[in-house]
Amino acid sequence: MASASDSSPPVAPVGEPRDRVDGRAKVTGRVVYAAEAPVRNAVHAVLVSSTIARGEITAMDAASVERSPGVLAVLTPKNMPKLEYVDAKFHAEKRLPLGDLRIYYAGQHIAVVVADTLERALYASTLLRVSYREEPPVLGLGDPAAKIEWPKGEMTGPLQFEKGDVDAALSGTGVVTVKQTYSTPIETHNPMEMSATVAYWENGKLTVWDSTQAVVNRQKALAAVFGLKPDQVRVLCPFVGGAFGCKGDQWPHTFLAAAAAQAVGKPVKLMLTRQQMFTGCGHRPVTEQTITLGADGQGRLVALRHESKSDDSEVGKHIEPCGAGSSAIMYATPNLAYTHRVSRTNIASATFMRAPGENPGTYALESAMDELAIALKMDPVELRLVNYADRAPHNGLPFSTSNVKECYRLGAEKFGWSRRNPEPGSMRAPDGARVGWGMATATYPAHRFPNQARIRLMLDRDGGVRAIGAAATQDLGTGAYTVFTQMTAMLVGLPFERVKFELGDSNLPPGGVSGGSATTAGVGQAMSEAAGKLRQAMLKRAQENSGSPLAGLTPDQVVFQGGRIVAANDPSRGVELSAVLKGGPAYIEGLNEANPAGADNLPAKQKAYTFQSFGAHFVEVAVDERLPIVRVKRVVSVMDVGRVINPKTAGSQVQGAVIMGMGQALLEETHYDPRTGRVVNDNLADYVVCVNPDVRSIETYFVGEPDLLFNAIGCRGVGEIGITGIAAAIANAVYHATGRRVRDLPITAEKLMRPA
Amino acid sequence: MDEPADSLASASFFTGARDVAAGISRREAIARTLKAGAGLSVLSQVGGLLRGATEPPPSPSAPGPVTVTLNINGDAHTLAIEPRVTLLDALREHLGMYGTKKGCDHGQCGACTVLVNGERVNSCLTLAVMHPGDDITTIEGLADGDALHPVQAAFIKHDAFQCGYCTPGQICSAVALIKEGHAKTDAEIREQMAGNICRCGAYQHIVAAVREAMQPTG
Repeated sequence: MASASDSSPPVAPVGEPRDRVDGRAKVTGRVVYAAEAPVRNAVHAVLVSSTIARGEITAMDAASVERSPGVLAVLTPKNMPKLEYVDAKFHAEKRLPLGDLRIYYAGQHIAVVVADTLERALYASTLLRVSYREEPPVLGLGDPAAKIEWPKGEMTGPLQFEKGDVDAALSGTGVVTVKQTYSTPIETHNPMEMSATVAYWENGKLTVWDSTQAVVNRQKALAAVFGLKPDQVRVLCPFVGGAFGCKGDQWPHTFLAAAAAQAVGKPVKLMLTRQQMFTGCGHRPVTEQTITLGADGQGRLVALRHESKSDDSEVGKHIEPCGAGSSAIMYATPNLAYTHRVSRTNIASATFMRAPGENPGTYALESAMDELAIALKMDPVELRLVNYADRAPHNGLPFSTSNVKECYRLGAEKFGWSRRNPEPGSMRAPDGARVGWGMATATYPAHRFPNQARIRLMLDRDGGVRAIGAAATQDLGTGAYTVFTQMTAMLVGLPFERVKFELGDSNLPPGGVSGGSATTAGVGQAMSEAAGKLRQAMLKRAQENSGSPLAGLTPDQVVFQGGRIVAANDPSRGVELSAVLKGGPAYIEGLNEANPAGADNLPAKQKAYTFQSFGAHFVEVAVDERLPIVRVKRVVSVMDVGRVINPKTAGSQVQGAVIMGMGQALLEETHYDPRTGRVVNDNLADYVVCVNPDVRSIETYFVGEPDLLFNAIGCRGVGEIGITGIAAAIANAVYHATGRRVRDLPITAEKLMRPA
Repeated sequence: MDEPADSLASASFFTGARDVAAGISRREAIARTLKAGAGLSVLSQVGGLLRGATEPPPSPSAPGPVTVTLNINGDAHTLAIEPRVTLLDALREHLGMYGTKKGCDHGQCGACTVLVNGERVNSCLTLAVMHPGDDITTIEGLADGDALHPVQAAFIKHDAFQCGYCTPGQICSAVALIKEGHAKTDAEIREQMAGNICRCGAYQHIVAAVREAMQPTG
């Protein structure tokens, strides 16, 4: 187990449940999302989408569109300016929009109509006449026409893996086996804010307001595609109206908005429709996973095999790493194998959706573990304790910290697990509904990407000292503004109220993508380093005064504390920050070196560990006897995510992830017409997500200790772990209530009513 | 606990059942718009677009801009707009009042909820020209100077939002819910807030905030 050594002690306000610093602006309607950019005289762009799923455009007649009142431009593959597909790593797709006449999926953008008002652009876009040569679309994992790939895996670690001999272990004497197949449908992110872009050109420079999880990656991608230098492109995104992964990679509409703005010589505003959110910015792909578990008489896993299939479009780049995100990590076993297969279909391109891989992977594995517990007549928590892993099974490296046993213990206690009658169908609510109790483990890796940050100290008009932290990172609703304000306050030893944090602008020091639950850990590390640089600069300036109490000290020997810079071993020896700043430049700043702290660039001591968060969910469901609708009555979720910067916002994130997982377990499925490949339920009435009455009682707890091997702040991520394991916990509770195992999400009433 | 009886009427996992909620439900809102005789053209036009219509739609009957005066948050705004402009787009694109959000444009999510004569209305389902003389209140009009409306203050205190995009609609909806006076229990608050989707999942905190704001102040 790691020990804290070289870090400063926790200092308020880190760890305090602060209200969001952007709360007042949000409740008064004053925050600015991308489509609300303060840009004068913007005109409106509307996208036209393909109505077929596979084939080629043979003709397009835009004459009546162009004649329609108010229309300024129509971009089609015929007149689309030639852009260059470079810097592929930032792109969600392997092609640029309107670059050719091929149709890869229904909903693919085929034209852009720009007009002076939204209404005129919308109307004119209906006048475009398109002819296609249609081909039968390839749909679904089972389509024999689908091209099959077995990806090796790059960022995810190996995707085709075997250690030991799984087959031999499974055929051993006395081995209890479970082999089952679990499937999950296509799920669509549907953040409340549709993706939007406002773009304009000025003197050869491009400015883009974009709803994005990565302003700097957008800047790089736009610069590369339009043949500009990065400093000729500025991307702004002060607020994001939810993302969950669908605003992570660069999707085509941003290029189209910039191209349209160039074509009309005016600022252009483009917002996807809710319908286009189902095809224009990704979804979680369909998965089918076969899990084989073998255990000895004590419940110890002797073998685990996890075979996973997912799909993507021919131009997509996504692999859902189900086994690599779950079975590779969770339980100790000498014999382990997992595989991943991708089918190429004519469904819109897939992408990351909240815990890609870990989420469907834990649904399958944690369901199978429940089935194994039943086969062994063991308590599900006991089975997991027996198979506790202190190191990651796939690479043998110990976890930097793991408190999963404490997650089980506290969760079971808060939930009242000891009162559970293991017999399925044995528990009833006072109204006669069947009651089921289920549990599952949650897990998500700790990531951090290269990040830079800066902290400036300056004198206020009132003579007091104020700090401004900044990084080109994003607040997706996660609380980034608030937690980084807390962190800045801690790092410079100033009250919360005297600190501000700026983000969402590519002109700031480059923060990374807000994905992989990496923001707090990555930017936190960069800020901690920036604070070190600031200490150096402040000390140097303080020591310029003759007779400075800090004379002779090195930057490592001083700390910021209570508005002063003081000797670490003798806080009475120091000077007021205001005295150091007085009569100097407008501000003194600390900016860290570009920090290559991606997975491949970890310092040597970190390469000896696996950084992983764990948690546990306990769930009670009630299922009506006559019409078996499943209701989640209460959830207790306990998470170990390292140091929690703000328990209020972190708790909200876990709660929200649990609710999204409830939707996944019981409601959410994107349906496609099996003949045409078009989305049938591309709206929020038919793609059903949890609404207020679906949520009864969700309690969240944190049991983490600071993970100081991972970064100087000791935090891992919190955005995604809550949605891992929850679907399995609900499915396990449904089995406990009804004796029926539905292995195909979502668990709807009609599936429970089918004859067994 | 104030759980509703597990009857089919409260089976909120089914979209149809959501319309059981009191207050202005989706079904009611659509019905009202249709009664007013103006919603159909908007819906069919949008439908045509989304399906990439291959048949030419009927030619636009737009008579060009008309003048309408809207009373928003106590101020009169005179606009020259086409009759097909929704109240939502009038607020956002013609008046630059972006506090009211577009989340689906189909009356399915509640993000665009505003108060019209004190009643909650999905502003994407009604046309601006239908509202001369009405008192329209948006999120920008709820606070009294620096003093937040009690619902706004309670939303901050209870962390009743994350990304904030559904928040203006949630708050307008909650203000009307309290005035309607039908919700006495948490279960009733949940049902009567069912028309406002929060994808970040702040529902439990929204209920706590509404409950607190409902308390008569002493």
